[in-house]
Amino acid sequence: MTARFRPVAGYMVFVAVLLTVPAVFTRVPFYTLSTAVLMVLLAIGALGLVPLTGLARQVSIGQAAFYGIGGYTSAVLTVRYHVDPWWGLLAGVVLAAAVAWSLGAVIFRAQGHYLSLATLAFGLAVAALVNELPVTGRNAGISGLPPLRILGASLTTDLPFYWLCAGLLLVATVAVHLLLRSPVGSALTAAGDSPIAAAAAGIDISALRRTAFVVSAVLASVAGSGYAHWFRYVDPSMLGLLNSVQLLIIITVGGRESVWGAPLGAFTVVTLAEVVRGRLPGSEAGAELTAYGVVLVLSLLLLPRGLAGLPAALRRRARGAR
Amino acid sequence: MEHIPGYVLIGLSTGTTYAVIGLGIALVYQVSGIINFAQGDFVMLGGLTFAFTAEQGAHPVVAAALALTVTAGCGAALHLAVLAPARDAGHDRLIVLTIGASILIQGSAVLVFGADQHFAAPFGGDRQFQAFGVSISAQYLWCAAAAAAVAAAVWALLSRSQTGRAMRAVAADRETARLMGIAPLRMGLIALLLAAVLAGIGGVVLAPIQPPDATAGVPLGLKGFTAAVLGGLTSPLGAIAGGLVVGVVEAVVTGLVSSGYRDTIVYGLLVAVLLVRPGGLLIAAVRERL
Repeated sequence: MTARFRPVAGYMVFVAVLLTVPAVFTRVPFYTLSTAVLMVLLAIGALGLVPLTGLARQVSIGQAAFYGIGGYTSAVLTVRYHVDPWWGLLAGVVLAAAVAWSLGAVIFRAQGHYLSLATLAFGLAVAALVNELPVTGRNAGISGLPPLRILGASLTTDLPFYWLCAGLLLVATVAVHLLLRSPVGSALTAAGDSPIAAAAAGIDISALRRTAFVVSAVLASVAGSGYAHWFRYVDPSMLGLLNSVQLLIIITVGGRESVWGAPLGAFTVVTLAEVVRGRLPGSEAGAELTAYGVVLVLSLLLLPRGLAGLPAALRRRARGAR
Repeated sequence: MEHIPGYVLIGLSTGTTYAVIGLGIALVYQVSGIINFAQGDFVMLGGLTFAFTAEQGAHPVVAAALALTVTAGCGAALHLAVLAPARDAGHDRLIVLTIGASILIQGSAVLVFGADQHFAAPFGGDRQFQAFGVSISAQYLWCAAAAAAVAAAVWALLSRSQTGRAMRAVAADRETARLMGIAPLRMGLIALLLAAVLAGIGGVVLAPIQPPDATAGVPLGLKGFTAAVLGGLTSPLGAIAGGLVVGVVEAVVTGLVSSGYRDTIVYGLLVAVLLVRPGGLLIAAVRERL
């Protein structure tokens, strides 16, 4: 297979997997359609970290804030102002993008790795705010969100909602893939590999990083809105630090330099969480955190390109052995 | 308004702990260029080990010694098993590794100590003292004394000992220090060990005031970051001053506005500092990268 057709083959496999998931997940133990929906939503959220963390090497620990901005914008607009859910989702995307744009406009002026600190603090500040503001329902959250509707049909059950999310994931994957293959993607890689050389070559590093940050915020917001309309309820736990870390684990374990890293990572991490919860009842929180930590550290040390980079690593090893 | 001196006093009392945490963060960043997200979890581990052991009936001194041993061991393990093998990885990967270590420590703490809070008695009995119309636990005097002792010890180490000079040499110029026969990796280990012990001390003296549970580390670590960033991230003295500022802002906001918005404002302060004062950060960052 030539390198040219590899992406096409990749998409054929991906679509085939997405199509067979409902049939498989309803027939094997402990996987259900709701796990599938969760995996797909997390994959959408994690996908935005491929350009930002994978290429530009900027670590964000505040993605849950954008996830929450999406979910809460949807909730406030649809429940309190009876706006159509799709407009709510769109408003969430616009708000998340605007917040990321303005935060990025100043944070990327400084070199170094302050994004991780700034996003961590920003995420916790927004979480604390949502917990206090009357409009977001304080710690009770907002319940009674309407379901998303397509062509007049309400998506109230898991199966149609899965198809919608799978479609969104496919569109998002193609969009991020095109971004990676565009000149912007090459510039992002250059800026990640050597910021000084890239700046010397005339690349505006801060604008690039900001673009990647906005893309990550938009995708996290879409995932958040989707989650809010599926669960029909939002509360401050959506913005928890663990959700940000979870997206980071997904993309690290799956492979942060490839669009396939997000779905692979989401599948692995959600499966891991389910296994740990099922095996060790009683100490769920501790066991889950420990498992996350072990997987994250091990994958960074042993498999720096994640599961998506495994075939290439094996090929290289086979070639080296010959 | 007449309460402000009292709030400032409360703030300075809590700020001493943030200063100790921030000092550890600044030390590690200065020597090895790593933003250590597990620093807050070392504080939690120290406090939790101390409170848990004391609850089992151990003498407070024994419990404190055990707590410091555990945090020091954990710091050494973090460096030897996680950071040293990945020393050639970029900063982004090292940041994610410390995040992994952070949740690993949290998870293990839940498995070992359970998810509940643990309680330790204040040193020398439960006493309060009055000043400026507020009542403050006498335990805060221990916090302040510990912070002062720790600051003096770190200062003496950095400026008076050969090891400290070697650490500062690595911070100033890693490559040249290596040419002079200093092993940056070894200095990184010492810095992380030192940071873990500082965090452990902070956790022990804080445990009687804020009963620790496994999740207590994240907010404490974040306040330590704010302290270190306020101080320019590479300056140990700046981190101590930063810690006191964070404590005062937190206490004044809690007193004048409301405790509900406290976290938003304290964390917002970190964002604001990063946004408004990148000048000081920028210089440090460029020196680090080039």
